[in-house]
Amino acid sequence: MTSTQLPESLIATLPGRYYTDPGLFALEQATIFERMWFCAARGSDVPRPGSFRTVQVGAESVIVSRNRRGEIRAFLNVCRHRGARICSDGEGSVGRAFQCMYHAWTYDLDGKLVAAPNLTRMPDIDRTEYGLRAVHVREWLGYVWVSLADEPPSFEDTVLQEVVNRLGEVANLDHYEVDTLSVGRRIVYDVRANWKLIVENFMECYHCATIHPELTEVLPEFADGYAAQYYVNHGAAFGADVEGFTVDGSAGLDPIPTLADDQDRKYYAITIKPQVFVNMVPDHVIVHRMYPMAVDRTVVECDWLYLPSVVESGKDVSKSVELFHRVNQQDFEACERCQPAMSSRLYRDGGVLVPSEHHIGAFHEWLRAAIGE
Amino acid sequence: MTQPGTVRVCPLADLPRGEALRVDEVDPPIAVFHTDDGEVFAIDDTCTHQDASLSEGWLEGCAVECPLHASTFDLRTGEVDAPPAKVGVRAHRAEVVDGEIVVTLSTEPPRLPPGVLRGPVGR
Repeated sequence: MTSTQLPESLIATLPGRYYTDPGLFALEQATIFERMWFCAARGSDVPRPGSFRTVQVGAESVIVSRNRRGEIRAFLNVCRHRGARICSDGEGSVGRAFQCMYHAWTYDLDGKLVAAPNLTRMPDIDRTEYGLRAVHVREWLGYVWVSLADEPPSFEDTVLQEVVNRLGEVANLDHYEVDTLSVGRRIVYDVRANWKLIVENFMECYHCATIHPELTEVLPEFADGYAAQYYVNHGAAFGADVEGFTVDGSAGLDPIPTLADDQDRKYYAITIKPQVFVNMVPDHVIVHRMYPMAVDRTVVECDWLYLPSVVESGKDVSKSVELFHRVNQQDFEACERCQPAMSSRLYRDGGVLVPSEHHIGAFHEWLRAAIGE
Repeated sequence: MTQPGTVRVCPLADLPRGEALRVDEVDPPIAVFHTDDGEVFAIDDTCTHQDASLSEGWLEGCAVECPLHASTFDLRTGEVDAPPAKVGVRAHRAEVVDGEIVVTLSTEPPRLPPGVLRGPVGR
């Protein structure tokens, strides 16, 4: 079956090989994840000078850290000398400098080469040129965004434009003051599925009534199959008898006081291509970051963010976390159900999208353009 | 520079507190430190364990930690606290004369790491 023969209700998905071909994944790494703005870590993950996290961005390992003045810095996690990984741990703290374990090339927290055996006998080595290779950083929503491009794309025209496309204006997200919120819970999911299956899943709600019974209880309109993301600045309303965005519809935590009136009792969702999902409800914001690790494996890190006073007081956020944790588990199970079938002969030309999923077609067009097709 | 002797390093104002300076006009080179407390010290610049410049190390109080392997040297005596360096460096007399840092070099033999030669060959 080819797309030219499809009935009007249906449009084609990407062919199966887009989800299984390692060469195509390598192309996505180079043209998407290593070129666009990539949400790498929460600023509070690296609280002090010398605190670091390492994250996979495209095919590269990237160190996210803070210099002595507390400013965010990010570097390729590669020694300039013989290429050893500088930081082998996922997180930690180095105190004053990054030191390679192999020959002790030593870099300060701004990446400058400050010491190495016999270095004083090699005065022609430029300490900056042979410093750790820095990558571009930007802080937004309390997260550290990196771009590995020589010339990063405009943050406003890419990341912020996604918010405008979905919410009409960035101000509608600013009301949640996400950068000031605290991490109440973080759960990391290791999903055996291609990253695009996860994006496509997040974008549609045709599956909601089937696999998300708890979510559909709280947001009854999801049973219709049209996701909040089908529209512009559409908040899905809580059910009449629902008190809060919790697994049983019981009351949530303290509401974020700066929200607009029409944001009360509503759920909003944004996909920030290529790897971020944001969900907003009155008392918390959920931020997913995907770290594509292989063509068939994606690590998803999910933060539940609350008012700092909620987190500091130790209030029980478990019913609130449990709702979207279940949604995540349900979604990722479905994505893992799809992944093995992507290599089926039946999916060689892909599957189909029903009308409530047609907006995923725009994602596919974006992807084809991004990888140069 | 004839040794033993004195070295006029630089005006004190040119070396901010918390910073260090390598002087390689003398052989072997020396490291001059201006501590956070405002004191001035001078020791041999080369760690006794491996060829590393102590002027690039981490200055804390009256001690400097080698940037490569973290042996820490007392700036007042040159003594080392812990391996991998096993012997201390020479300490020189540093003073401020008319606003200028002046170092009187030690007459002891320097204790250099293996492979570091003195004179033009080693430089």
